[in-house]
Amino acid sequence: MKVRSPVVFKTKNAPDIEKRGIYMEDTIKLKQILSGYPEEKRFSLAIMQDVQREFNYISREALELISEHLSIPLSKLYSMATFYRALSLEPKGKYIIKVCDGTACHIRSSLVILSELEKLLAISPGEMTKDGLFSLETVNCVGACALAPVMIINGEYHGKMSSKDIAGILEQYKGGESHG
Amino acid sequence: METVKVIINNKECVAEKGKFLIDIAKDNRIGIPHLCHHESLRGLNSCRLCIVEVTEGSRTRVVTSCTFPAMTDLIVQTNTDHIKKMRKVLMSLLVAETPDNVKIQKMAKAYGVADYSRYGMNKGNDCVMCGLCVKACEEVNCSAIATVNRGVTKKIATPYETASKDCVGCGSCSYVCPAECIKIEESGGIRKIWDKEFKLLKCGSCGKYYITEEQYNQLSNEHKVPQESLVCDCCKNDKYAKQMAKIFIK
Repeated sequence: MKVRSPVVFKTKNAPDIEKRGIYMEDTIKLKQILSGYPEEKRFSLAIMQDVQREFNYISREALELISEHLSIPLSKLYSMATFYRALSLEPKGKYIIKVCDGTACHIRSSLVILSELEKLLAISPGEMTKDGLFSLETVNCVGACALAPVMIINGEYHGKMSSKDIAGILEQYKGGESHG
Repeated sequence: METVKVIINNKECVAEKGKFLIDIAKDNRIGIPHLCHHESLRGLNSCRLCIVEVTEGSRTRVVTSCTFPAMTDLIVQTNTDHIKKMRKVLMSLLVAETPDNVKIQKMAKAYGVADYSRYGMNKGNDCVMCGLCVKACEEVNCSAIATVNRGVTKKIATPYETASKDCVGCGSCSYVCPAECIKIEESGGIRKIWDKEFKLLKCGSCGKYYITEEQYNQLSNEHKVPQESLVCDCCKNDKYAKQMAKIFIK
């Protein structure tokens, strides 16, 4: 992982930004996202979705910057961010594993898949592995019921899963990490 | 001013067109039970205890009186058997939500809810989630609190559930709370609310603590009142009462 150092970075709207321990690359990315939207309340969700996509989570610093940019109270944004499951306030792993627990997957024993993942990764749903590689979540139906039970890793669908396939799939991702 | 004729519980009332039923009833001394309605924070419509039966022409339906404007002549019944039954269910759900809240329990008793063992109890919760405090906070231009999470984990909190920089400690949220569940602690000139401590300022007349420094700063930005001439509500009422007495008692 790249080591990043905090830098002094002053903006008109956030003069004390360097005190918040925010990193320059992140700030530039954030400001790029913000500059793409007019300062209107109705874009708050779109901005938060963009931030989520870019960083895999919304940091407190990011949320405060959005609040200043749009002149919306922080409480309103926090309320929205905690309401939508698509938005996360905690850092997520590089690979986000979503296990479908919709009706079709549930009947085809998605919970067995989930417990196997929990065992292999040593985390429960909503958590991230210590090396920051994987996060585990459950979702309610992804519309791929014909492939039940389904597991999605960073947008890649793994259908008709059985618990013995999982270790191999996880190895693929881990392997890709060490070679690349 | 256009008026409409509203018959509430067989009492004929004349009211301004577009006025909400709960206000018309109040003007005519007819009580409608409610939790989330406050005269300066209207239209939350979340406790639903204020339901009434409205007959418009030949059609009768159940509406919430806090958000139903009287646009035409209406016949309103606030206490039919149907309404009582519905209100009882609503009340027992509220008790299940806030099993330790004394005020809600008293209210439930008054509306005839005796047995609410039918529902699972949400132990340790006192809030009815009406959102009146959030609206009050918004009205005083702070917006320090909002609803957080959703579903069974939904609650009222400050961002990140820590002391909020937007909170001025005015206590409006606690004042409007119908369930009386937002706690304010005050001792030795320090007020504690929402995990934040505030220094209190004294009334210029009687010397009692009554306003937080942050609230004073927020007000003085708008009105430019010197700190010495600040007086508490009691002293202000006293002053006006004396002035009135001077005018009318001769």
